[in-house]
Amino acid sequence: MRELLNFRRYILDNGLKVLILEDHGLPILSYQVHVKAGSRFERPGITGISHLFEHMMFRGTSKLGPEEFSKIIQSRGGIVNAFTTQDHTTYWENVPSDQLELVIELEAHRLKELKLDEESFSTEREVVRSERKMRISTTPYGAALEELFSLAYLRHPYRWPIIGWDNDLRNLSLKDCEEYFRLHYAPNNMIIVICGDVVPEKALDLICKHYGDLTPQECFHKIEPEPPQRGERRSVFKKPVELEAIFWAYHVPGIDSDVIFPLLGICECLSGGKSSRFWQKFVRAGKATEVRLVADPPPFWPKDPGLLILYAIEKPGIPISSLENEIEEEIRLFKEKGPTENELEKIKNRLKASFLRSLESLFFRGLVGGIYEIKLDGFEKSWEILEKYESLKAEDMIQVAEKYLHEDNRTCIMVKSISIEENAKFGLIE
Amino acid sequence: MRELNLNPIEIHLDSNHKIFALSYGKAPLSYLVMLIKAGSEKDPKGKEGLTDLWAEGLTLGTKKKSLEELIFEVEKLGGYLEGSAGWDFSLLLISGLEEKLNNLLEILSEIFYEPDFPFQEIEKTKERRLSNLLQLKDDPSKMADRLIWNMAMEGTPYAHPISGSLASIKNITLEDIVHFHNEIYPQQRSTLFILSKEVKEVLLEKTKDTLSKLITWKGEEKTPETTPSTPQSQILILDRPDLTQSQIRIAFPSLSRKDDRYYILKLMNYLLGGGGFSSRLMERVRSQKGYTYSIRSSFSSLKTCGTLIISTFTPTDTTYATFEEILSTIEDFTKQGPTEKELEEAKRFFEKSFPLRIETPKQLLNEIILQETYDLKFQDLFEEIEKLKKINIEEIKSIAQEILQKQKMQVLIIGNSQHFIKNFENFENLQLMPYKDVLP
Repeated sequence: MRELLNFRRYILDNGLKVLILEDHGLPILSYQVHVKAGSRFERPGITGISHLFEHMMFRGTSKLGPEEFSKIIQSRGGIVNAFTTQDHTTYWENVPSDQLELVIELEAHRLKELKLDEESFSTEREVVRSERKMRISTTPYGAALEELFSLAYLRHPYRWPIIGWDNDLRNLSLKDCEEYFRLHYAPNNMIIVICGDVVPEKALDLICKHYGDLTPQECFHKIEPEPPQRGERRSVFKKPVELEAIFWAYHVPGIDSDVIFPLLGICECLSGGKSSRFWQKFVRAGKATEVRLVADPPPFWPKDPGLLILYAIEKPGIPISSLENEIEEEIRLFKEKGPTENELEKIKNRLKASFLRSLESLFFRGLVGGIYEIKLDGFEKSWEILEKYESLKAEDMIQVAEKYLHEDNRTCIMVKSISIEENAKFGLIE
Repeated sequence: MRELNLNPIEIHLDSNHKIFALSYGKAPLSYLVMLIKAGSEKDPKGKEGLTDLWAEGLTLGTKKKSLEELIFEVEKLGGYLEGSAGWDFSLLLISGLEEKLNNLLEILSEIFYEPDFPFQEIEKTKERRLSNLLQLKDDPSKMADRLIWNMAMEGTPYAHPISGSLASIKNITLEDIVHFHNEIYPQQRSTLFILSKEVKEVLLEKTKDTLSKLITWKGEEKTPETTPSTPQSQILILDRPDLTQSQIRIAFPSLSRKDDRYYILKLMNYLLGGGGFSSRLMERVRSQKGYTYSIRSSFSSLKTCGTLIISTFTPTDTTYATFEEILSTIEDFTKQGPTEKELEEAKRFFEKSFPLRIETPKQLLNEIILQETYDLKFQDLFEEIEKLKKINIEEIKSIAQEILQKQKMQVLIIGNSQHFIKNFENFENLQLMPYKDVLP
């Protein structure tokens, strides 16, 4: 597996890190720019700025009009997009390998000559507010999940949504964006990944040519740590839904901890696939529409201590509140006996296969390298993933379940259904 | 294909069924897919969802293994198992670690030849599907996709959701499923696809045995072209006062997969709304106006008919402005067609992005399943580019004018209607209904 993630690392004089992985299987490559600029670097009042700024990066430069960047890449047979997480913002292009120089040139150009103007900013802010409505306001449980995070975290920036609060989005200014760009978009705060049909030395020459003159700057940001939770927090979220639901969040360590692997093993045992305990006990048995315990697998597991989320969606006629005790009982059973030998083998194979499946694409391989480098300062850590899955032990999983899956470490939200008329008194969800 | 160095092995059996094997992929994984060329268009009236339920039913246990035992065995191999229907095809997919390929093949064979369709599991599956449909009602975007499809396909065998509806799922019995299994599916042609990092000769021999029990396929019945029967344009507005954003869908009748102009349609769709930021709709509605985060057009070309659907969403107060902007974009596009530059760039996109489309085994599988479903050869996949290169502006314009006709469009809007209903009052065939009265 190592050969699929065997990047070469280079560091330019201005601090820019470059990871290059050669794979000549197909005449394509994935080009990625990972910036240490996600919602964890924001503060109340400017929540959502990392993501809004990601949009602004496509709104033109001194030479290019709005979205022309994307049009040029597409006209050369490429696919282009970007995404923002809590910990970083990633810009990527998957292109035919003969377009490498063009991509490098365009990406470096927008860092140097980005055009930020009021007109583009106002248009894009409305686009983002529409995206927020799509992801949060008009989905069945989006707003409840937002509330879960802001209840589970008291201080850490993971308490606000990546897309930002609507009120902050309305009040953000172009000046905020300019300031954010200045603070975070420096070469020493970025990692470039090139993965695919590429000759490393040639690619590095091009990177030096186009990015070498960027000036480094101090990028310091103090993150407020989250204090330990000292007892369960509970809340009710009312809205018109066909099916009521519960969401539980448990605080768990960040990606730098080896504990994430047994935690993923627990998720897999309880709710991975149709042979899992939750599916068999609740979904197959007709007690719930869905019951799952989920976490983002590496490299997407958060940098700082994150949340393991359990959710259950009711089956019509069976109140979801009546399932809480049964779900707790399943967790208690797991803590008592852990997985069976057969289950352990299944968990290992499923986790391995799922990770291997994702490595089929150059894009994902690039993400693994880039995100590990940005979160842990070393893509080499990703080589251990399969090994960690293979060496999972029942006793470690029991110990980890004991430590984290308990009431005092839990935040609960119950989504209760109300009529449209009753909903009117609360006002609309923005 | 030669440049990409793909060397599939195709074995045509005496029974007219087929095996397609290809060494492909970077990771040590295998994919086995049994493709049956009959899909949800075969669903009897009132029992929509039958084919999809039959396909899932195959995975609910065999004569030798209960559901629990079967699923555990597959998942223990690092695998997953899926039975589902599409339009014009159904499939059974099993995937897992390459070192377990032999076991995966044995399981697939057992599922296919010895399914049990246990009554209790079928009933539970139906119940789950009913709950999932209620869950879906909470999502206006998914509901909009389902409803516009039905409006667009009215009068054709495709005018229902693949998974069925609240009403139709209740009507499906175990006898219907067993009848489908014994009478309908054996009449269809099957192909077994194997994609694995390395396909060995010995496996192919074993695979031949697996398909040997299928009865001889006697050829396809001629299926006539069908046309949606909706006589004229209509606008359906579903009122949901708690929404802050409206879902907008606009559908037009389009071409079947066998139509010679399929590739012109493909290019036209890219230019209109399928090409992301390179498309006219994205340029006008998002980039210039900022009305939405996303707008796209997509087309489905099926065995006997097709549809083209424009999908977007926008905050409530810009609902009508967005609708108008879409119509105005369509009008300009059909009158003037694309520019020379737009057309050349679109062609170049399809030509140069081709390897990206087939990078992973799963992506390649999706492509070849469609090729097989519509009686196209594997090689045809690689000849598409040459066909696209020959298309000119007049052909694009002509197909746009034929398809994007205002008098044939079906419009669906889900939103807080009191803020925009007045703007639509001049349209003929306008219907307003409470969202809560619509069942999925």
